[in-house]
Amino acid sequence: MAKPEIDNRTHFLLRLAFVWHIALTIGLLGGIVPLWQAGKMAVWLRLLLTIVMLTGGLASTLAAIFIRRGEHRGRVISLVINYLGFLFCFLGTLHVLGVFLGIDALAETFPRGIPYLGGIFAGYLVSAFGDRYENFPKRQQAFRRAGKIIMGIFGLLFLLAIRTLPGLLALIKRYNSLPPYLLTAGAILFGVMVWVLWRKDSANALKANNAHEEMLNGLLFLSPNLLGFLLFFAAPLLLSFYFSFTNYDATTKVSDWVGLKNYISLLNLTIAPLSSPAQPATEVLNTKIYDELTRITLFGRGFIIGAQDKLFWIALRNTVVFCLLAVPLSVIPALLLANLLNSKLPGMKFFRAIYFLPSVAAVVGVALIWQWLYNAAVGYINYSIVSVINFINNIFGFAIADPQIRWLSDTRTALLAVVIMSAWQWIGFDTVLFLAGMQNISKEIYEAATVDGASKWAQFTKITIPLLAPTTFFVVTTAIINALQLFEQVYVLINTEPPGGPANSTISLVLYLYVKGFQRFQQGYASAVAWVLFVVIFSVTLLQYRRQRGGTYA
Amino acid sequence: MLRKSIWTALSLLLAATLLLTACGPKEAPAPVEEPAATEAPAAATEAPAPAPAEEITIRWRTRPDNQAEIDVYQKASDAIDAKLEGIKLVYEPGGSESSSYQDVLKTEIAAGTAPDVFWIPGTDIADFASRGLILNLNDLAAATEGFSVDDFYPAPMAHLTHNLETGAEGANSGALWGLPRDVSTFVLYLNLDLINEAGAPDPRQLAAEGKWDWEAFKDVATKVRALGPDVYGYGANAWWGPYGVWMNAAGGGFYNADRTACGLDSEGSIAGLAFQRDLYVGDNPVAVPYGEDSEPPFMAGRVAMFQNGRWATPGVRANANFNWDAVELPKGPSGHMGNWLFWGAYVINANTQHPEEAWKLLQELTTAETQGMISELGTNIPSRVSDEAINAFLTFTPPDNNQAFINGLMDMPTAEGPLWAGSWPEFVAVMDPAIASLMTGKTTIDEFKASICAEANKAFK
Repeated sequence: MAKPEIDNRTHFLLRLAFVWHIALTIGLLGGIVPLWQAGKMAVWLRLLLTIVMLTGGLASTLAAIFIRRGEHRGRVISLVINYLGFLFCFLGTLHVLGVFLGIDALAETFPRGIPYLGGIFAGYLVSAFGDRYENFPKRQQAFRRAGKIIMGIFGLLFLLAIRTLPGLLALIKRYNSLPPYLLTAGAILFGVMVWVLWRKDSANALKANNAHEEMLNGLLFLSPNLLGFLLFFAAPLLLSFYFSFTNYDATTKVSDWVGLKNYISLLNLTIAPLSSPAQPATEVLNTKIYDELTRITLFGRGFIIGAQDKLFWIALRNTVVFCLLAVPLSVIPALLLANLLNSKLPGMKFFRAIYFLPSVAAVVGVALIWQWLYNAAVGYINYSIVSVINFINNIFGFAIADPQIRWLSDTRTALLAVVIMSAWQWIGFDTVLFLAGMQNISKEIYEAATVDGASKWAQFTKITIPLLAPTTFFVVTTAIINALQLFEQVYVLINTEPPGGPANSTISLVLYLYVKGFQRFQQGYASAVAWVLFVVIFSVTLLQYRRQRGGTYA
Repeated sequence: MLRKSIWTALSLLLAATLLLTACGPKEAPAPVEEPAATEAPAAATEAPAPAPAEEITIRWRTRPDNQAEIDVYQKASDAIDAKLEGIKLVYEPGGSESSSYQDVLKTEIAAGTAPDVFWIPGTDIADFASRGLILNLNDLAAATEGFSVDDFYPAPMAHLTHNLETGAEGANSGALWGLPRDVSTFVLYLNLDLINEAGAPDPRQLAAEGKWDWEAFKDVATKVRALGPDVYGYGANAWWGPYGVWMNAAGGGFYNADRTACGLDSEGSIAGLAFQRDLYVGDNPVAVPYGEDSEPPFMAGRVAMFQNGRWATPGVRANANFNWDAVELPKGPSGHMGNWLFWGAYVINANTQHPEEAWKLLQELTTAETQGMISELGTNIPSRVSDEAINAFLTFTPPDNNQAFINGLMDMPTAEGPLWAGSWPEFVAVMDPAIASLMTGKTTIDEFKASICAEANKAFK
């Protein structure tokens, strides 16, 4: 391959890029030491910055070496580093200037300028109208000029209406300390280096081919999503894993490393034999550490189980019970309902929409309505029960007593109330999924079965259910994941303080996590709860997946 | 090419203007329309003066329960804004009690976006102060001419002046965490129609004769309960306030005498809980089942005595379609009604850039004039000790018997107290479920007594 010719300007710019990356390497690697000598800074932040600076420094070294050698990978690495650096400095500038906190101002003043945007558009139309007079250059020119003037006037009015000038002055005023200047300078430097390496001449000089250009373009288009994923999902996820080994409190910014302490506190259980079933826990448990969780009888002998964090285990039990009840209660009726709705009777689309409605409704609104329905004294559910009982008693002369079910305040029924409401809300969504699955099953199979004399029930059990296996797997898996993440339903429907009442009978793992993280501000501990929940969900999903692959659903 | 250039230029213009608009100052809030009433405070009717260029913006927040309260606080904010030179106030209504007011506030504090001045309940003062989230205002108060902590009810001020290091309380303790917004006590809201129908004596009359005690209370409740299976003699919501008064009235309480350990298993506490448990799951239960929201059945006319604070008055005024009034809580074995003195305080964010201006706002928010304006809603009793304030409060009827609230204030109420020696959220997280189990009959008094303090004491340092 012939060596590409490099003009002097490109040669200079590439040398500049080489020098820039050497300087950047020195800056990043050299900055690590002062970072650890700096005063007050959270350990996690130091660690994170160290990793970023180390990675950036090493990548910058590679970029310098490859650019020097005239290899294209040097350009790729350099573009990635400079692009990320530019974004960091640009967004950092906006942050220190308080732009992200100005969304309120934007919402209040920007709409005032919207009518003037219409004027700009009108100007554009006038300008474009001139294209109709290609054969009359003067007229075409006049239209274009008129359009530009209109656009200019409305553009100016637009700027005035949305208070751009005060905004500009406010922006200038905020350049009152070193950070905005440094970040702006950084954004300019990184931006210039992106331009240096992006240039066509630089690309040619570094032997770029079409595949390289396509890759870079692809990465550029992918970058908003990829960066969003890394910044707002992957990074917090990893950070929460780190926090789960600390006593992090976001309000006081305390974040000391505590090792496995959070996990040990969560999972620490003890069991002790009881001399009599009524023996007080204080006599058999070290109550400075453990609280009584439950009592069991094994081989005729009573035992007491104590837990260091009783609430965690109660929350885990409630979550599992909820999952075991709510998933079949939503999935099985949904399957039957989908079978009913998978017919061509008149008005079926209307019914499909009706059954789907609860899934569209917000959980908060639904929960508030169910709260009223469940009210023991004036709720419609108990009113209906009493009416039915009275009817039966009057007709048949029975003396059935009113059960007076206290749906939300009785520890025996509160979780059931949540299950009923959740299942009711989920059925519609599951039904739509099953319906879609059923409509993918070939009609010929049913026709063949009918010819063979198979009954409707046999067709349902021998054809529909087996062929729906992939859909069933998806529905069951997502339903289980949803159920294990139970939160809003309890938080709004039960609405006790502390949450999860009565007597902790409805507290779920996510609700417990919320209480720890956002009410007590023990974010380190809450992160540990989150990771235990992750392990539970991951294990159940893996098990499901294995079973599906093993043919259980097929 | 031209079109491409135009669109590029337009897109850049839009992006740049969005950026600059976001940097710009917010629009000044539109002035709140003045009501036609002539008694509106003079300050509120004046048009706001043009804002000087160097105005300092102070954001403040309190917890309103409805739009009417939001409007009144906005009106108060505008009036103070006009009064304070060089300060521009921005009132931000927080979420209501059921909308996680504290959770949101704490999250904002963690993010550094919380307002300069905000209201928190009395029980949260210790948590906020010990975490360093609110300013100690002692120096600012000491430099303020005419300011005295004695102008407010002493019980809240004892907590608000608690010194974290020495434990001292009072004017010379060296600490001041905030100023109380208002105070409140429990009363029993009465459905007089139900009580008459049941042929029970009028609790107001019994209270006036000094015969309003637990026995009399239970007698009225039992007679009303006999009216039908869906009619109840008594109702209260399930939180620490209602069940606490029965313990207090029997001489017990949540803590020991110096508030350093659990007192839930003391003789008085157990006696109070036993009496209350009998109302719910005794041989002849008279109360709306524990844990059920008692407000809907009371509003529906099925509860004779509904225990709640002054904050419930606007709702009862608006929704009760029966003859109603209020009576103080019955006196217990201790000779007192065991009422709470509920309070909450305006405090200053420890990260505020303008502590002096925030302190000025705090003083203005607690003047007799501002408190009078807010008391007109009927939800609050002013936190300043003043005959004038109390007399003004008594005129806001119905209920006719506003004196019931004042009687609650005068009968040695226990101040809603922050737990300086431990964690209140941890304590209540243990206490509340245990009492729910007790009141629903899931556990016995003996079981409760045997285990409660072993668990609850873990909430203490």
